Amino acid sequence: MSDFWNPYVQPDPRQRRQLALLSVGAVLLLWSALSGFGLVGPNRLPAPWDVLSAFGYLSWHNGESMLAEATLWSVGRLLAAGVLVVLIGIPIGVAMGASPRINAALSPLVDPFRSAPVVALLPILVMWLGIGEAMKIAFLFIGAVVYLIPMVRDAIQAVPQSHWIGARDLGATPWECIRQAVLPMAMPRIADALIVAVSVMWTYITVAEYVNAKVGLGQLIQNARRFSAWDQVFAGIIVIIVLALVTYQLMRYAKAKLFPWETHQ
Amino acid sequence: MSVATNPSAPATSAPSEHAVSLTLSNIIQDYPAPGGGVTRVIGGVDLNFERPGINMLLGPSGSGKSTLLNMMGGVRPLNVKTPTSGLVSIDGQPCHGPHDDAVMVFQRYANRPDLTIYENVAFPFRFKLWRERVPEQEWRARVEHMLEAVGLADKKALHPAQLSGGQNQRVALARALVLRPRILLMDEPFGALDAQTREEMQHLLIKLYRERPCLIVFVTHDVTEALMLGDRVVVLSTQPATVADDFTLHAPRPRSLDWQRSPEAVALSERVLEQLHRVSAGKGSLRVTV
Repeated sequence: MSDFWNPYVQPDPRQRRQLALLSVGAVLLLWSALSGFGLVGPNRLPAPWDVLSAFGYLSWHNGESMLAEATLWSVGRLLAAGVLVVLIGIPIGVAMGASPRINAALSPLVDPFRSAPVVALLPILVMWLGIGEAMKIAFLFIGAVVYLIPMVRDAIQAVPQSHWIGARDLGATPWECIRQAVLPMAMPRIADALIVAVSVMWTYITVAEYVNAKVGLGQLIQNARRFSAWDQVFAGIIVIIVLALVTYQLMRYAKAKLFPWETHQ
Repeated sequence: MSVATNPSAPATSAPSEHAVSLTLSNIIQDYPAPGGGVTRVIGGVDLNFERPGINMLLGPSGSGKSTLLNMMGGVRPLNVKTPTSGLVSIDGQPCHGPHDDAVMVFQRYANRPDLTIYENVAFPFRFKLWRERVPEQEWRARVEHMLEAVGLADKKALHPAQLSGGQNQRVALARALVLRPRILLMDEPFGALDAQTREEMQHLLIKLYRERPCLIVFVTHDVTEALMLGDRVVVLSTQPATVADDFTLHAPRPRSLDWQRSPEAVALSERVLEQLHRVSAGKGSLRVTV
């Protein structure tokens, strides 16, 4: 216990797992106690077992799975927005990082949105794009891309100048310097930016599906709320959290596999 | 400033494949000083390098010798005109920007961590310029040969993080020499290495130079290194840099420890140190290893 307050001594993985389970278990226990002893009514806090049965109901009822359908739609929207973020956001970020002039021109258009209320844009997007899929995907795209672009730019600028100079000296064109010397070095941090962007999209999915979604996880929660089915609201939220966590871990794993050299830098 | 001997006599031999000349004419470099005004870092340098040889640019740290080397390599800093006045020319042709006559080797070797050692040495052939100039079959043979020459043939499938600092610098050297440059510019390439590795690298450089002589300009602040490697040693003063001394060395390489202790070497070392103390008045630092 002498290393309890020592930030440099990590507990072994088994102990870490135990501690994590312990804290999650404690919250579940507290939650169960609050509901079980009737300290908080089901209209304010649904019991864990009710949430579990709501989860079962949503997963399979009358030969169809509302949850699976909703998840597929939400993941689909997220993927569509994600592809746009990669195709549009990464090239813009790289261009801003590689050219101080482009950065000077575009940063006043991009940087303020990092701290701006992106949610407030929703009515404007509805006005411009209607209430269909285009609006939802555009909202997710904007919400994520304003985080991604500055991170990609910073990733490029963080590459030591020596790589650029070295390639330039070897006769590389500016494009070859970026493509062969700077971009490969920035890739791990660009991957980090993408991981953040996807996490941000998961947090915005309910907002994106707030308006006129016929199906989706956000709509599922919205619909349940309308009928005060709080157990279903909780189940929906937990599903989103778990999905976000799984995507995060998968992307972290993929990053470690793709850029093994980064860890021992 | 005294100039002891002038080694840059006009080339008498007929131009060969290796013939090359690198001339600095009255180079002056000013940088904007903080708080207005200008700082003169290079105050009128005239130098002429001809034919293959190892030319050492020796000066205290901060003497502007890297700035001079970068000018020769065509590496220009942003926002500052270099040189402020004067001219760098190669084979009589003025050079104003990046050119492919010279290849540079830096102290920070800038190996790509995601590529193997082989891919790092073959790196220049990813660029159109060299791909068009050297057929694939030939560059692959050159890469294999260079890996052999720098003693990394058995490590070609590894990555830079698995190699030591000295081995990484060998990769950088191989990557430069695989292009068979007529001019090789080295900016304190062994400055960050420990004493023993530095000596190994010096011997390696001599070996590689013998195999394929080229015009080397080697920047260092290490007096011993200058005397161990140089055919010619140019001593620079600091702030602003001017040529304080310029002499040739004829002792055969590799120069042994016995040579370092010979009256000739000791006298030269003292001469250089005295020059530098006189002209730089304690500004900047020097290294003497023996």
